[in-house]
Amino acid sequence: MKSKLLLLSFALLCLFGVSVSAQSYAITNAKIITVSGATIEKGTIVVRNGLIEAVGANVATPADAQVFDATGLTVYPGFFDALTTLGLQTRPATPPTGGPGGGPQAAAAATAAQPTSNSNYPAGLRPEDMTSDDLRAGEAQFEAARNAGFTSVLTIGRTGIFNGQSAVINLAGESVSAMTVRSPYALHISYTTLGQVYPQSLLGTFSAIRQMFYDAKRLEEWQKAYAANPKGMKRPDNDRSLEALFPYIGGKAPVVFNANTEREIIRSIDLIRAFKLSGVIAGGQEAWKVADRLKANNIPVLLSLNFPKRTTAAAPDADPESIETLRLRAETPKGAGKLAAAGVKFAFQSGGATTLADFFTNAGKAVENGLSKDAAIRAMTLGAAEVLGVDSRLGSIEAGKIANLAIVKGDVFSKDRFVAQVIVDGKVFEQKEPAKPAPGRGSGSGNPTGTAPPTTTSAPEPANVSGGYTITIDVPGSPIQATLNFTQSGSTLTGTFTTDAGASPIRDGRVTANGFSFATTVPYGGQNIDITVQGSIAGNQISGSLDSPLGAVPFSGTKVP
Amino acid sequence: MRMIIQSVTRKVVAGFFSASLCLCGLTGSFAQSKGDVLIKNATVLTASRGTLEGTDVLVQKGKITRIGKNISAPPGVQVIDATGKFVSPGIIDCHSHSMLDAINEGAFSVTSMTNVRDMLDPNDISIYRALAGGVTGALLLHGSANSIGGQSATVKFKWGHPVEDFPIADAPPGIKFALGENVRRTTFTPPPGTPLRYPRTRQGVMEVIRDAFVRARDYKQSLDDFKAGKTRIPPRKDLELEPIVEILEGKRLVHAHGYRSDEHLNLMLLADEFGFRVATLQHALEVFKIAPEAAKRGTGASIFVDNWGYKLEAYDSIPYNAYIMWKNGVVVSINSDSDERMRRLNIDAAKVMKYGGVPEQDSLQMITLNPAKQLGIDKRTGSVDVGKDGDLVIWNAHPFSVYSRVEMTLVEGEILFDRAKDAQMRTDMAKEREALEKLDVNRAPGAGGTPPRVPTERRRGDRDEAEGVIDNE
Repeated sequence: MKSKLLLLSFALLCLFGVSVSAQSYAITNAKIITVSGATIEKGTIVVRNGLIEAVGANVATPADAQVFDATGLTVYPGFFDALTTLGLQTRPATPPTGGPGGGPQAAAAATAAQPTSNSNYPAGLRPEDMTSDDLRAGEAQFEAARNAGFTSVLTIGRTGIFNGQSAVINLAGESVSAMTVRSPYALHISYTTLGQVYPQSLLGTFSAIRQMFYDAKRLEEWQKAYAANPKGMKRPDNDRSLEALFPYIGGKAPVVFNANTEREIIRSIDLIRAFKLSGVIAGGQEAWKVADRLKANNIPVLLSLNFPKRTTAAAPDADPESIETLRLRAETPKGAGKLAAAGVKFAFQSGGATTLADFFTNAGKAVENGLSKDAAIRAMTLGAAEVLGVDSRLGSIEAGKIANLAIVKGDVFSKDRFVAQVIVDGKVFEQKEPAKPAPGRGSGSGNPTGTAPPTTTSAPEPANVSGGYTITIDVPGSPIQATLNFTQSGSTLTGTFTTDAGASPIRDGRVTANGFSFATTVPYGGQNIDITVQGSIAGNQISGSLDSPLGAVPFSGTKVP
Repeated sequence: MRMIIQSVTRKVVAGFFSASLCLCGLTGSFAQSKGDVLIKNATVLTASRGTLEGTDVLVQKGKITRIGKNISAPPGVQVIDATGKFVSPGIIDCHSHSMLDAINEGAFSVTSMTNVRDMLDPNDISIYRALAGGVTGALLLHGSANSIGGQSATVKFKWGHPVEDFPIADAPPGIKFALGENVRRTTFTPPPGTPLRYPRTRQGVMEVIRDAFVRARDYKQSLDDFKAGKTRIPPRKDLELEPIVEILEGKRLVHAHGYRSDEHLNLMLLADEFGFRVATLQHALEVFKIAPEAAKRGTGASIFVDNWGYKLEAYDSIPYNAYIMWKNGVVVSINSDSDERMRRLNIDAAKVMKYGGVPEQDSLQMITLNPAKQLGIDKRTGSVDVGKDGDLVIWNAHPFSVYSRVEMTLVEGEILFDRAKDAQMRTDMAKEREALEKLDVNRAPGAGGTPPRVPTERRRGDRDEAEGVIDNE
């Protein structure tokens, strides 16, 4: 009874986000998955000043402690999502690629829309971009992720070839400085193109990356020589973009390559070896196929849990799906187990999944497909902390570590899991058990529903969607810029879908009161793939999801004025 | 199917079988064949020394070690009875864009910093289909959107091998040049907002190329000055100019896309000026007009036999182009520039006998030994000769017959296409598909879901022609 009262009063306190860091907080009678050591079937965790003060089966509850009776609950180290865009400002789709009308004016407008920079390199080739500069303050934005059990994430935007430098953040703290755990963590690279300027093809992307690494290497040597003896030597440039690469060449800090396919990963390994980088693969859908190479080169993987699944409806007259697609869907959940067996280090990440619940459900699928439960939990706790270089502070339930905890009712891999409490940096966040838990992404970038717009018998007035839109398709690792041009006639939608690879006419376009949908065929990765797109429009914002045989990805963007 | 495997190391065959069954590249589980095989009693079209009847070919560790009668198989060597069959050298396609994830970098007119080696997809199904057409090697080229395009890759189609096994290690490096319409970009509508790219005229193309060589010469000088201690700051490693320096040094082969003979002649004159040789004139539909000029410089031509008129600059050709060049001593090869046409280059070579009456062996050379010469790999492949790689095709009939088909294709003695096994693979894959389709992840969603895939044309565009309409321009 007493504990229930305490719980209730505590819940009230938490509604106002009151920090308990000054006081100690004891979680009692909990099953404790420490990850670093043996599981404690029934024990106590004491939290004070944002740190874990004590943990064990026979730890005394301090006199000043607020006590949370966790009977029947399991405490995990707070979960990591090892690659997200959480905390980042939602920007309009960038970089603008001219847009309809074109000409120098559009190009000038595009330039004006870029964040100002004195870099010698175009946006997309600026390794000096810091995620920490783009993070917005405030912890309310992380509520959905916390409610799913996440306490720490690696975060970075995914535009351009050099995405910039990422940060590991805790999902609490009212200021950016307070939430930051490690910044920068790594330089991130995506195999994408820049649209209007070089490189406009993957061929150029690789050459551009190499040339910048070579130029940085030379500049570093030149600057050193100049510092030692400037007399009689031409002054080297103060080039921020190249200087940002210095710590990464030679491997002093990690470089993350967004690479899903076997060949993207092999190309990444080639770059890692050529420039002696401390490489990390992110995405890693086919990483298991090159597990031996990853192991041999000591390259960890930020493994996506956004497993591909079929989204196309059955139709008797449709072509059968390719056997590669069928295999990919069957094989992807087995990947984690194979990486573990090969001794490759990996951390789980959500991979742009549209619902965070998929993270744990799909981790459970990895467990059904050969990964041990312990290894799965490790990949979202201590294993992730190790890859992200914060394992001395985070990732396990040990005295002295940062108090990031997830208190879970039910099996963490099962659908009926419920995260009763999350503690971040010692701060307690509680959630009421809802009738139907449906944690969303909550990052403010528009919440794709992933379901078809409902068809109603009363046929309400279709929305007006005519016009042009520039969108960013958030393909994990290599976001794609695209342009939509819609012509609407009643509930029928026609127009084009344009990427760097060309324009494709849309077909089966429909508009309902709630949104739109269409199908098209686009060149992607050297082949034509069929995609279906569903979305909605609010004001000048457009968002939705794009389904292909390779999986579903969200997109968002703005209307071209 | 009379191709009987008499003696086999079961393991090797099983390994190969499972590897080729999985159409994805297997890097880990590929059971490496030693490349040992004895082909018995075939009609061998050597492409260098005429036709040998009832002849055996022994391949050991990937190399042809003996050609003759009544060769007995050393222990452990797989024996293939080719009685009634024809053996030819593996076909080499001297102009292909197979295996490439990207073909054109269009941002600049000079994109010599790019390298198609970065874009190789060892799982491209076109590779297997090419093997089924008897093709064992190819020159993989950058597209033709640039006056100086990207660096090329000379590969063997080692299907099932990891990507690094494809490029021929000792092949001289190459690079794509292009002249004419594609480079001028005048038939190409740029995306809105993209500025027009210089050059817009044929004379501008020559200027851009000359400028690149001048810059490369200066770059080379700066490297030499630094080496000699004349300068203190190390010159920038310039990925754009390095390959052009290699051209000047005679280390890198130039493969120049073009149609009009005046343009091809201009390029050869520019090469004279800078002291290098153009290795091949690609497409070269009008080179019959400048055959002596090409022959004199040792410049080869790589052409379509009887395909032209698909754009303005490609109007003036004749089916006797190959014959006239051959007669003038030009090394001629027949290429595909297309994943589809690549599978029937044997028929294209046969046409050369029809138009002008080039002798059989010289015609066969145009898809085997001649492309090997043009690519600088004729020491190791291109004909059935002792000491060369075991790149061999076993045909059910003479390859110049329209009734012929490939029974087996070997690359360095390893059987990478086998028609009998292919039939078995189809059955196995049908079973696999059935099992895969039953999985939850592959089931259609119960309600809703996105509309099904609508069949699309399967041909791959976006090749030479940057705007991507037709492959073989």
